Amino acid sequence: MTKLKTIGLSRRFLGLVAVNKVSFSMDEGEILGIIGPNGAGKTTFINLISGIIMPGEGKIEYKGQDITYMPAHERARLGIARTYQLIHPLENLSLIENVMVGSIFARGHSMREARRRAADLCGELGLKDLDRDTSKLTILEVKKMEIARALANEPEVLFLDEVMAGLNADETKDLIATVQRIARERKLAVGVVEHVMGVIRELTHRVIVLEAGELIAEGPYEEVSKNPRVVEAYLGGAA
Amino acid sequence: MALKRRNLIISVFALAATAALLLWRPTVLIYGLQAAGLYAAIAIPMGLVLGIVHIVNLAHGEFMMLASYATYFTCKALGMDPLIAIVPTAIVTAIFGWIIFQLTIRRALKAPELNQLILTFGIAIVFSQAINLVFTSQTYKMPLDYVSASMDIGELTFGIWSFVFVAAAILFAGGLNFFLKRTTTGKAALAVGQNPKGAAIVGIDVYRTYGLVFALAIALVGAMGALFLTKSAIFPTVGSPFTMKSFCLVAMAGVGNIPGILSASVLLGLTENFLRAFRGSREWADIVFFVLIIVVIMSRSLKGRKS
Amino acid sequence: MNRTLARSLPVAAIGVAILLPMFMGDYPLQVARNIMLYMALAVTWDMLLRSGQISFGIAGLFGLGSYASILAVVRGGMPGWLSIPFAGLFAGLAAFLIGFLILRLRHTYFSIVTLALGEIFRIIIHNMHDFSGGPEGIVVQQGIIFGGASRNLYWLTLAGLAVALLASYWFEKSKVRFALTAIRNNEISAKSSGVNIFRWLLLAFVVTSAIQGMMGGIFVMSYGFASPETVFSADFTLLPLAMALLGGIHSTVGPILGGLLLGLVSEWLKLQIPYGHLVVYGVMIVVVILFMPQGLLGLARKTMRAAGRNRK
Repeated sequence: MTKLKTIGLSRRFLGLVAVNKVSFSMDEGEILGIIGPNGAGKTTFINLISGIIMPGEGKIEYKGQDITYMPAHERARLGIARTYQLIHPLENLSLIENVMVGSIFARGHSMREARRRAADLCGELGLKDLDRDTSKLTILEVKKMEIARALANEPEVLFLDEVMAGLNADETKDLIATVQRIARERKLAVGVVEHVMGVIRELTHRVIVLEAGELIAEGPYEEVSKNPRVVEAYLGGAA
Repeated sequence: MALKRRNLIISVFALAATAALLLWRPTVLIYGLQAAGLYAAIAIPMGLVLGIVHIVNLAHGEFMMLASYATYFTCKALGMDPLIAIVPTAIVTAIFGWIIFQLTIRRALKAPELNQLILTFGIAIVFSQAINLVFTSQTYKMPLDYVSASMDIGELTFGIWSFVFVAAAILFAGGLNFFLKRTTTGKAALAVGQNPKGAAIVGIDVYRTYGLVFALAIALVGAMGALFLTKSAIFPTVGSPFTMKSFCLVAMAGVGNIPGILSASVLLGLTENFLRAFRGSREWADIVFFVLIIVVIMSRSLKGRKS
Repeated sequence: MNRTLARSLPVAAIGVAILLPMFMGDYPLQVARNIMLYMALAVTWDMLLRSGQISFGIAGLFGLGSYASILAVVRGGMPGWLSIPFAGLFAGLAAFLIGFLILRLRHTYFSIVTLALGEIFRIIIHNMHDFSGGPEGIVVQQGIIFGGASRNLYWLTLAGLAVALLASYWFEKSKVRFALTAIRNNEISAKSSGVNIFRWLLLAFVVTSAIQGMMGGIFVMSYGFASPETVFSADFTLLPLAMALLGGIHSTVGPILGGLLLGLVSEWLKLQIPYGHLVVYGVMIVVVILFMPQGLLGLARKTMRAAGRNRK
């Protein structure tokens, strides 16, 4: 079942095209990789879908509903969640309280209920000692907290923006397994932006490739990675 | 691009209004321009600090007030004319400004914007209340003959001394333009303002530049303090409205746009004096400023949001 | 042991605050009233600050409430006691309408606009001679509320402070804390967690403005007089701000602590130095921001943590 779909989505900044006529869709239970060279518009694309910025043209549909210009907090309530590349834990709030925010505001749970659900979520992700100050967390724990914060929205569509960056090999493996389990159990549609191709190959069912804001290829990773245009895009970016 | 178009709109509007006023109420135009000169000359240094050091200095007007007091008592003691004191005052206040920067603002540069705002607010209070403590709230004024100089054109008589503020504003704007575009130090300062990290990489001492720019701005404000004294009475809180007015003019012009400050000042000076020209609206002239601030800031922020 | 102490301390403080008039003369009671007034303003300023917005408009809303109250009594014939909640309601309503405009602004822009709004209120009152009494001010001919009895006026102000404290406590213990903290930290990620930023800012702005207006009402009803220079005085912005900063921001206890200390000091200084005693507040603000941005409360926490570490 299609959860999310864009049609000709575009956005310019000061005349520069950041995202250009991108049409794609995501299905229930699918883990989709979003790849492309630096500056290809991946994060902008996620920002458009989550409502952090508004598109210039095109359409975004969530479960058949037009959400193109819906404010971000309403999208969060509908079931679209995301993590951020630069994670800012909320100061003055403990680990569990950070996770509670989504549960309180996106789902409207009471504080008590939100705390219970946040504790469950943290347990599921292997986070312990939940009343800790967030300044004391390890990188892996911060990443997991960020994922838990997004999951607290109880989303149906989840975007992960470079959650594996900065982790070592073991931690990456651990987090890949966690994301796969969560996606399977919750029948989530997950969009993943990653720079490490190994992670994309392991984690995703399908990828889309952006270059200079345009969608240039789409399909399983094995297939797309042999596509001459994709190779060209990456080599061009490297040269 | 958008900047140029807005400037064009503002100048066209100003020109049209000016032409109409000249025919109809010449004094509104004259006094409006004089007021604009005063506002602009004080606002330009604030624009400089905001554009390069990225600090909103809420003690801006208070620095001017201090300079006015210093000038007053020095001139009184030495029997000197404040005009002679302009340059020495500027030098002394520059040093004072540099010291204040090193002692306080420098330490807060990396702090959140909110801390900086409260810090300079606190400095403003210290200045005005320290003066209040020493000199009480009594007003002081220099008795000078030449400030009442007037001019007659046909049936029209008007004071001309305040045109000195217009001259100061033009001098400041022109001088700063020259400094920032033509001199090595100025170019370095501009580079620091646009990209402090990049400037540091190419070997510019960022903090030293901040200190210099701040001191320069305070020097200009100090000079204005001496000049202001020729015309107006001074008291402990005389500077604070200028802080707010300066900020608003800078906000109206857009950060880093010194010519914009001139046109915004003209708009403000003319509107205020236009309202003063009528009995019924005289008292409301003060409100124009605040309403204008809010309208401009609102429209800017909304526009910023869309783009 | 420690917990019992922590619980019984506020109870004891409340008891002392209520019973104080039994043991005090008129002058100390008036000092206490001033301090409580500033405390209430300090707490409300802090409540909005918890969302990251610095208001310089306390005096503006305080003055607006003051005039709403006194004009309701003098021109509208409202009973004095009723004019106090009316002042709160009026200021809250004004904040609600203004909020739609100005809560889109951030940082310096928001702060400057709140300052400008205060000036606008002042000029309007100043210029509406016939209705507001103009620059000379306006007197309640019916006399001061409670016949000016010191004790009653004290309790009235205490009640005002209690409202501020309860509101602050509510902000601390409910969802409001999560909303404001999320907004202060990062608005973009707050949105992604479903926080309707505008709605929560509006709530904080309206509630704090209403309390500031209500305190204005209490102030003018206690003195039976209002003029633009007195009720829009910059002191009502400056003092609360300094108090909250000194005590420690983002808390209820901090502004109260700071208010108590600075309030006592300033009442003493006022007698020693008639002009310029406010310089102390300026110095306090500068010193706190530079050397202990978390205030006395933050300092105490740090010391306690260090002591705890040493014990281990």
